[in-house]
Amino acid sequence: MKTRNILLVFFLFPAFFAEAQENYFYVNWNGNIPLSSTEYIDNFSSRGARIGYRKFIGMNKRFSAGIDFNWAQYDQYKPKETFVNETGAITTDYYNYIYQYGLTVSSQYYFPLGDNDRFFPYVGLGLGANRNEYTVYYNIYTDTDEVFGFLARPEAGILVGVGESRKVGFIAVVHYDFSTNSAERFDYSNFSSVGFQLGIVMLQW
Amino acid sequence: MKKLLVVVFIATMLISCQSEPDNLLLLDELVVSTNYDPGATFGSYATYAIPTDTIGFISSSSNDTILVSSAENRYYPREVLEQVMQNLNDRQYTRVARNESPDLGVNVYVVQDLNISQQVIYPNYYYPYYYGYGSYYSYPYVNTYAYNTGALVVEIVDLKNVTIDNKVKVIWNASMGDVYSTLDLVDQSVKAIDQAFAQSNYLVHEN
Repeated sequence: MKTRNILLVFFLFPAFFAEAQENYFYVNWNGNIPLSSTEYIDNFSSRGARIGYRKFIGMNKRFSAGIDFNWAQYDQYKPKETFVNETGAITTDYYNYIYQYGLTVSSQYYFPLGDNDRFFPYVGLGLGANRNEYTVYYNIYTDTDEVFGFLARPEAGILVGVGESRKVGFIAVVHYDFSTNSAERFDYSNFSSVGFQLGIVMLQW
Repeated sequence: MKKLLVVVFIATMLISCQSEPDNLLLLDELVVSTNYDPGATFGSYATYAIPTDTIGFISSSSNDTILVSSAENRYYPREVLEQVMQNLNDRQYTRVARNESPDLGVNVYVVQDLNISQQVIYPNYYYPYYYGYGSYYSYPYVNTYAYNTGALVVEIVDLKNVTIDNKVKVIWNASMGDVYSTLDLVDQSVKAIDQAFAQSNYLVHEN
């Protein structure tokens, strides 16, 4: 109960009581490496992206709250292999794929750097839903398992304003994703990854 | 509203980046699946019968029931039959004629599943820029998609233990696909047959 109240305050209070403040929209490239289900895929994936909208809370811009949507694709080729079962065997080469989509509401805390209004290092937490589609491609055939789960994403990043007007900037983020997506067909009880993001920020969107 | 459209556009672009694997890599070998009857004693069989030039054909789009070796099909039936024979001979089974009471019968056939799906397309209305021209409307039309899938199947039937009501049991089968998307049908089928036997090491006659 206590935890739930803290989460409510963390996410809802800033959003509802925000005074008219600055905000930003960002588009990030996202590279990820899975930490779980690594026998399924352990490749680094450069196919990923995230977009989001955040609004600063309070006059001193220490907090922001917003919404993030991300997409990532993991894939790995597996050479020919024979799988033996009770009454036979199957031999094929194949590709393992994970198509991942996440939607989170998030809140960030920005560390003060004196009077500097160019750099905004922050830590944040996003909570939401994750959809993973596990697909095995072999010859012309596919096996697919589509699963949903709860997603938690702590992250640390920095916003860098550019130019005099500070209307545009850059963002760099490291994040850890943990989701409860369990794919019984592929024997996975959760999915986690770490990622790195680089992107463009449009301030006062 | 413009900002929302930009966000939707970017999100759509991201999702459309979802890709599928390189088909050429996946299609250079057939998937080989084998099954056997755990109750069968493969070592106890000694002889088998198999056709020479003809394999069966089961299709949802053709009335043909057999495929006969010809230059047109690159003697595909003969090639696959000879490869099955070669493997059975290597496992110490002896080929005999059908009228010589073989212990095992070998069926080889191709199953073709022609899937056809249809989609009704409703074209958009196009309104002219000028009044009085009359609007233009395209009638709906039907798009038909057809795609071929198929497997080469090898079955070994127990002729030694025919039931009282004259039924026989399949004690081993191999299914190899897809034979309609191969890069080299004959070569890949021959290799797939070898693989089917390689992953069935119990399939051997014991003297």
